[in-house]
Amino acid sequence: MLEDRLLVWKFKHGSKNAFCRIYEKYRDDLLRLAISLLNEANVAEDVVHDVFTSFIQNGKQFQLTGSLKSYLATCVANRARNENRAYQWQHNPGMDAVKQVESSSSRPEKWIIITDEFRRLSNALAKLPYDQRETVLLRAQSGMKFRQIAKLQNVPIKTAQSRYRIGLDKLRSLLNSEVTK
Amino acid sequence: MNSPENIEKLIKNAVIHSNPDVNQAVLKEFLQQFNNTQEQKPVVTQPNIRRKIMKSPITKLAAAAVIIIAVMLSINIWDNITPAAYALDQTVQASHSVRYLHIKSFKKGMEEPKEFWLEFDEQGDIKNIRAHMPEWESPSDGAKVVIWQQGKAKIWYKKKKSLLIIKDKRFADKLSASVQLFDPKLAVPRFIELEKSGFATIKIEKPSNKAEPIIISATYSPECKKFGVPVDRTVLFVDQTTKLITSMESYSLTGGGEYELIDWVEFYDYNQQIDPAMFVFDNLPSDVVQIDQTIQDIGLEQGELSSEEIAVKVVREFYEAVIAKDYAKAGRIYGGVPAKIMEERWADLKVIRIISISEPIPHPSSGVGGFMVPCKLEIEKDGVKSEYKPYGPGVRAVHGQPNRWNIHGGVK
Repeated sequence: MLEDRLLVWKFKHGSKNAFCRIYEKYRDDLLRLAISLLNEANVAEDVVHDVFTSFIQNGKQFQLTGSLKSYLATCVANRARNENRAYQWQHNPGMDAVKQVESSSSRPEKWIIITDEFRRLSNALAKLPYDQRETVLLRAQSGMKFRQIAKLQNVPIKTAQSRYRIGLDKLRSLLNSEVTK
Repeated sequence: MNSPENIEKLIKNAVIHSNPDVNQAVLKEFLQQFNNTQEQKPVVTQPNIRRKIMKSPITKLAAAAVIIIAVMLSINIWDNITPAAYALDQTVQASHSVRYLHIKSFKKGMEEPKEFWLEFDEQGDIKNIRAHMPEWESPSDGAKVVIWQQGKAKIWYKKKKSLLIIKDKRFADKLSASVQLFDPKLAVPRFIELEKSGFATIKIEKPSNKAEPIIISATYSPECKKFGVPVDRTVLFVDQTTKLITSMESYSLTGGGEYELIDWVEFYDYNQQIDPAMFVFDNLPSDVVQIDQTIQDIGLEQGELSSEEIAVKVVREFYEAVIAKDYAKAGRIYGGVPAKIMEERWADLKVIRIISISEPIPHPSSGVGGFMVPCKLEIEKDGVKSEYKPYGPGVRAVHGQPNRWNIHGGVK
């Protein structure tokens, strides 16, 4: 925590190195969260890109009230949620669709490189309702507290806990059934 | 079969990789953006004021932080000579030479900070203060600027378009107390006492790179609230080169056991001379009404009456003066507002009679003091008579005029 606080302080006082360190430290975690939430590589990359851009632009006003990791994860979750709403996906496309979208990407190269293990997990996560998926990922992947997740989702803590439990159960069923096939 | 614990581990350990070439390309783009933001000039909200302030590369001092450090680390400073303690000792020493200081005090959720410009005399006592108080600090008053000099305070109420000049020890004490937090000479002994009593725990991180600040975290025990420490943790940033504190953050312990940032203070222009013009109102808008309470008797004399009795009398005589169109008297009771201004302000509302005046109640807003005196009036507006209950009126003792009481607001 002190390291992050120091990084933020230096970043606010114009240290490029501090920003580089923050970027290196949290980039992959944020990309992982974004792709897990959105199942769409291009959009996930854009979300993370936008979060860092906003972080730079608002750096001087930024005040770290909790952990930097949770703050950045919350930023990603908020933007991902907006993207999710904007696209109004009727069905979760799963990682097959990711591949298709990736192939039409305007980026010369892919930023996110997905492993087979991750692809399998993401296929299962994609079948969860968005709120449950978000709760499971923010808790298990980003290490956020239920209180923070509940605040982000504007729901009681018990709802966040319930979403986590149900989401985890569903995920277990999905992955177990996959194994038994 | 996957257990829930295994699923959690699976999610936690599932990794992606990022393309190193893209990482570098994106980082390069971000750094360009970062450069652009550094080149942008900060938004100047008060250019005239800002130009008056001598600008310099920051030699910042958070004297309040010095206080806390000195206090909380007193054992370290005087019992254990460590590098970090040495730095703090230097900081404490440096704080004794403070002559000028510019402070921005931020509150979480509020965009605009409170700002103070302080000048100390040779003995280290506060000589001049300029304070910019945003509207959130006192919504009823609105934003205001306060200049305090030689025991006299000039308060410019922007929304009310008035400049109030008072000479009052209570006001001076209150203002002085609010800035004493930044004066280590006064607060150090109190914090030393806290440390010696075991009411605080200190953590210090001193990076080997001297370009990085020392971070001092002072966590207070709950008992500290009894000693007037309103927060649960203070984090200070000390410049290793100058040995001065650059900022101070205050945290409150939440029900969830986490420390939440509630306010923070930034210190600028340490010992950079402040333009004397900063301590003078020389360019107020022409429609600002000046009320100098230091040169006239304000309100009514209390005499042998109790505080409640004089409060009722003040309200009664005020409205009687308004009914009689004696605006000179009404203005005198209403804080010294000139008769002409009073007449203009009451042109749209004719008070016919006082129906009733109730028992005074303590003013609900903390820090205001005095009473609210609920009353009912019969008024005539646009030819229609009706019953009217003003918000106040608020009545309290006159600043700097012992034994006199006046109305300070809430009359219509």
